[in-house]
Amino acid sequence: MTVVGRAWNRLTLPGKLVFTIVPFLLVGAIVVVALVVIFGQLVLDILAANLPIVRFAVAATAVLLMSVPTAFLIIYMEMKVIALMNLRVGPDRVGPYGSLLSVVHGLKVLMKEDFTPTGADRIVFTLAPVVVYLASVMSLLVIPFAPGLFGQDLNVGLLYFFAVGGLSVVGLLMAGWSSFNKYSLLGGLRSAAQIISYEIPLTLSVVGVLILAGTMSLNQIVLHQSGSFLDWFAFKQPLGLLIFFIAATAEANRTPFDLTEADSEIVAGFATEYSGMRFGFFFFAEYVNVFIMSALLVTLFFGGWTAPFDWPWPVHVDLNPGALGVGLLFLLALGPLVGTIVLAAPFWIARSSMPTWQALIIGFVLFNLLVGLGVFALAFLGWEWVVGLFWFLGKTYAFVFTFVWMRGTLPRVRIDQLMGFAWKWLLPASLLNLFVTAGAIVALGR
Amino acid sequence: MTNLVPGLGIARGMLLTLRRFFEPKATIRYPEEQPEGSPKFRGRLQLLYDEYGTLKCETCFQCAQACPIECIDMGGIDTKNRYHIHWGPPETYGERRDESALRRSGRPVPDRAYEHFAPIDLAPVDAVMSEYDYDPRHLLPMLEATQAAYGYLPVAAIRHISNMTGAWYAMIYGTATYYGHLRFEKPADRPQADALAANRPPESSYRDALAGSLAGRGAARRRPARPRSN
Repeated sequence: MTVVGRAWNRLTLPGKLVFTIVPFLLVGAIVVVALVVIFGQLVLDILAANLPIVRFAVAATAVLLMSVPTAFLIIYMEMKVIALMNLRVGPDRVGPYGSLLSVVHGLKVLMKEDFTPTGADRIVFTLAPVVVYLASVMSLLVIPFAPGLFGQDLNVGLLYFFAVGGLSVVGLLMAGWSSFNKYSLLGGLRSAAQIISYEIPLTLSVVGVLILAGTMSLNQIVLHQSGSFLDWFAFKQPLGLLIFFIAATAEANRTPFDLTEADSEIVAGFATEYSGMRFGFFFFAEYVNVFIMSALLVTLFFGGWTAPFDWPWPVHVDLNPGALGVGLLFLLALGPLVGTIVLAAPFWIARSSMPTWQALIIGFVLFNLLVGLGVFALAFLGWEWVVGLFWFLGKTYAFVFTFVWMRGTLPRVRIDQLMGFAWKWLLPASLLNLFVTAGAIVALGR
Repeated sequence: MTNLVPGLGIARGMLLTLRRFFEPKATIRYPEEQPEGSPKFRGRLQLLYDEYGTLKCETCFQCAQACPIECIDMGGIDTKNRYHIHWGPPETYGERRDESALRRSGRPVPDRAYEHFAPIDLAPVDAVMSEYDYDPRHLLPMLEATQAAYGYLPVAAIRHISNMTGAWYAMIYGTATYYGHLRFEKPADRPQADALAANRPPESSYRDALAGSLAGRGAARRRPARPRSN
């Protein structure tokens, strides 16, 4: 056996893996660098020439990538909050406080059999979840998350939102029709009836906001509400807010209007024949819808990403790390070490029973927490994206919590109560709201 | 009035769930936390024997009166050979049952000739109770006075006290059996009580019946029956 062979045999399995992978990585890195050097400028030029397309592609990808964790978060929130309201503990086994349970749910859905019933229209059956999910996700494109942080600032943003959101009905009908199952079809028709009925008061209730703001661009509507929280449209359109909230609850299929897939009564309605990830898409779309409806509610009536009162932020923080010179190098090298030891020292001194390594771990965690908080505070102060996201997500999740809270409280309505409420109460009320708003605008001459 | 305000019920329901949200939770995280049973939990109902082979049951009826579904009935002679006892709805009385069925089931067959519930003159008990204002908190002096009036504690008198004061029969009976100076039989009835005791099936028959009904590995390891000490 040669020297090389003996050395190879002495390596552990991870060592062998690393020795196999490292050359490939080296070669790959060299190739990538070469490609960037040769074609980089060309690619950049092409991208710059087609900026709208690039922007759309990036935004769509980002929104798609964002939607799944959002759904996970809201699913976890729903499980936990409803459990706490039922005097239970809820998920507490997977991850810290059970927070990874919804990820496990997602993986479970992925591992299940992807079944297509005999006689189903395969193409439509496969496309239906995609349509439903994309209809939800595409609506996210026009929502302004922070100043300058949005997919596209359409001047017909609100119209686009309702148009794309309305596509989900098509998806539901596709699912119901293609399943080759009378219960699915009935469920699909039921949900189509519900969603189309509530689309009308939902759309009419925001017309008052449109008249007040004079624009359909969601970004402009948010800017219109900047200032203190008294400028929010919630105070100028309380009836519109109420109608929008109720209609949005029905639109997102939430309790008390979740007849579409009343999980305790019927077999999931239009999704009866779905399993595996196709069902997962319906499931995620439901929760993405909750997020979207809360986000739109916040955008239209609660000032979007604007702070509720006049903050002195964002202030400009003048930090120039480069000015430290060699000191920066020392700071980066010694900062964590010194910070950890300094933070560990009090524990090590105060509690003689604590081993050194435990104190060091505590110090390390504390140091990371402090630095993380510091970085966040710095970003919060200096970067308006962070401030905007902070307020926007804070308000949005407050309403997501409200939706979950309602699910933990309210019983489900009957289908005739549902339809009667939409046509007999919400529609006249939204028309009244519209006329009063328009009349007030004319009377005040603004 | 509150029903007239639309949406008030919803708001109150939402407030209720929000309050529940912050309340302590009822869940017991099982493998880490072992639940503690109720302090009154006694496990499976079973008649126990002491080391001399006699039944430990004092026939105080407290199990029967505490039983929420009234599944415990008692009938026959009490374990101290004092007198005939009943607990439970009349259809469960031993006397109402077919004798052979009782024999097959391993229960004691009652003595039909025994008159278990002689009617008495209740006027002395009424006088005693009115003296103590029908207050069950003065149960012991009441019972002592009753015994002084009759010479013993007739079952009918105890029943009457239970009816008039509202105290449970089992509670009065338990109190009366606890104190040694309270008697349940006339001094003259002692021979009859002894005769009944002689009539009684031996304790080993109860234990055999019990072992038979439990028929498992426990039956093989059972201690041999010992003769009763008295």
